[in-house]
Amino acid sequence: MFRERSVRIAAWISCTVLALFTVVPVLWIVATSFKTAAEINAWPPTFLPHAPTWANFDEILTHTSFPRYILNTLIVSTASTISIMITSSIAGFVFAKYKFPFRGAIFMLLLASATIPLEAYMIPVYIMVFKVKMLDTFVAMIFPLTIMTFGVFFMRQVIMGIPDELLEAARVDGASEMWIYLRIILSLSKNGLMAIGVFAFTQAWAQFMWPLVVVSTGDMYTTELGLAVYQRAFYTEYGPIAAGAVISIVPMLIVFVALRRHIMEGIATTGMKG
Amino acid sequence: MSDVILPQRSSLGARLAKGWARMKREHIIFVLCTLGPVLALFGLIRIYPIAETIWLSFYDYHITRRRNPFVGLANYAYLLEDGPFHEALINTIVFSTFAVVATLVLALACAVLLRSIEKAAPTYELLFYIPVVTPWVPASVIWKWIFDPTYGALNYALSFFGIPRLGWLQDPVLILFALVVVSVWKMVGYFVVIFGVGLRAIPEELLEASELDGVTPWQKLTKIILPLLRPIILFSVVTCTIINVNVFAPVYVLTASAQGAPAYDLKVLVGEIYSNGFVYYHMGYAGAQCVVLLLFVMSLLFVQFLAFREKN
Repeated sequence: MFRERSVRIAAWISCTVLALFTVVPVLWIVATSFKTAAEINAWPPTFLPHAPTWANFDEILTHTSFPRYILNTLIVSTASTISIMITSSIAGFVFAKYKFPFRGAIFMLLLASATIPLEAYMIPVYIMVFKVKMLDTFVAMIFPLTIMTFGVFFMRQVIMGIPDELLEAARVDGASEMWIYLRIILSLSKNGLMAIGVFAFTQAWAQFMWPLVVVSTGDMYTTELGLAVYQRAFYTEYGPIAAGAVISIVPMLIVFVALRRHIMEGIATTGMKG
Repeated sequence: MSDVILPQRSSLGARLAKGWARMKREHIIFVLCTLGPVLALFGLIRIYPIAETIWLSFYDYHITRRRNPFVGLANYAYLLEDGPFHEALINTIVFSTFAVVATLVLALACAVLLRSIEKAAPTYELLFYIPVVTPWVPASVIWKWIFDPTYGALNYALSFFGIPRLGWLQDPVLILFALVVVSVWKMVGYFVVIFGVGLRAIPEELLEASELDGVTPWQKLTKIILPLLRPIILFSVVTCTIINVNVFAPVYVLTASAQGAPAYDLKVLVGEIYSNGFVYYHMGYAGAQCVVLLLFVMSLLFVQFLAFREKN
């Protein structure tokens, strides 16, 4: 874009500074989680732990209910991911390949509501869950996370790229619509579906507001909720809190680094929408 | 659901019949059996709650009461005199403005600069993206410790410049800026990637041609690149604003707590909705506050829609 030497030097410097800004705090909490309590409260602060210890992880994993929170989060995130992958791929398929009345209007309605945040309409959802006496259950926690509008939009985009001739050929051979979906569409849109799965999983994993509202007993806490509540109650025990934060971040980082190509493709589609 | 969109009921039935008649029977059954449940779920957890939120805001709603009296605009009238709500609204607007401007300016500058070191761009984008995949709660936990007045790294770093220790989370003004820093840190990488997509779509020949015409780099940026990027900038402003107006988790973590470190009890819009709706159970009134949020988000989306249509 710019080939001037000065611009290139400015690019190296400013992007490196920004990278330090984004990366150092995360490295810092990882380092802190391996420090002893004395070292954490030392002044001046240290960056790398002098005597690395697992004590903080041991503390939070054996003396608190954190393992239970992790299990709860895994259950909620997995269920939400499966539901979103199924609903997105089947709705994406129908919107991409069938001409039915009001298809455009229904799709527009779906898209229009995509960016409206859960916070703005969570009260009626809460009342619904309350009325069926499901507060403080996994069902309640998963309920608003069962569909993802962006998922439908994205899968429609991916499936539109699959040639119609392929579907017609299968129909001539007597394939049912369901067979076409299961055997042709799913296998040809695997990569897109993976990306949506990753989005859904990270979204559910990071969810904070909704569990805060529907969960009331400690046994049903998610890692995010547990971490937020724990750090409010025991602010001075920063070591175990840092270990908890690392436990909450690391799965996201692993998923992201392993699947970054899919994720970046997905983000590119969001940008194109605008 | 479809009759929400089309005003004329008579033509609706006719169009529906005509539309279905054009389809094969197996296809009709398949579409109804697959899309039907998805749309039903969508109606139940999206459309209905949005409509219900508006309805709630006209009632003095309490979740355990059998009868909830209709109060008309009383909830909205109370919005006008509710001091904490005004405080929350002002804080949210100030915070969002600073956060959106800082995030997008920084992201745009870096995205443009990255295009001149294209080989290193994927690595940088990966590093910028790490906070984006970090959930809000641990992200705020990290920063709470950095901002800590006694042990925090920020005050330590500032001490080299002779600046005395500041109570970043205790001061009502500084905490807003602390929050802006957390938000910029969390979201900047996402918008670097989004702008990167837009920038890569600009044909290189166009820029080369402009160079032959003797255009300065600054003119190239302001006269060619930025105008071509307008749709993506607009999308980013809308997305970034919605994210920041909804700020809650970092506020919950960074602000005051009963037993923990003393901090300023900063009020924000979603925090008010949370405490009115789920701490005091004034759900009708919280509903009115949700409507304020809804109206704001919808007007942003409407502006985006208008601009998008204009482009086509």
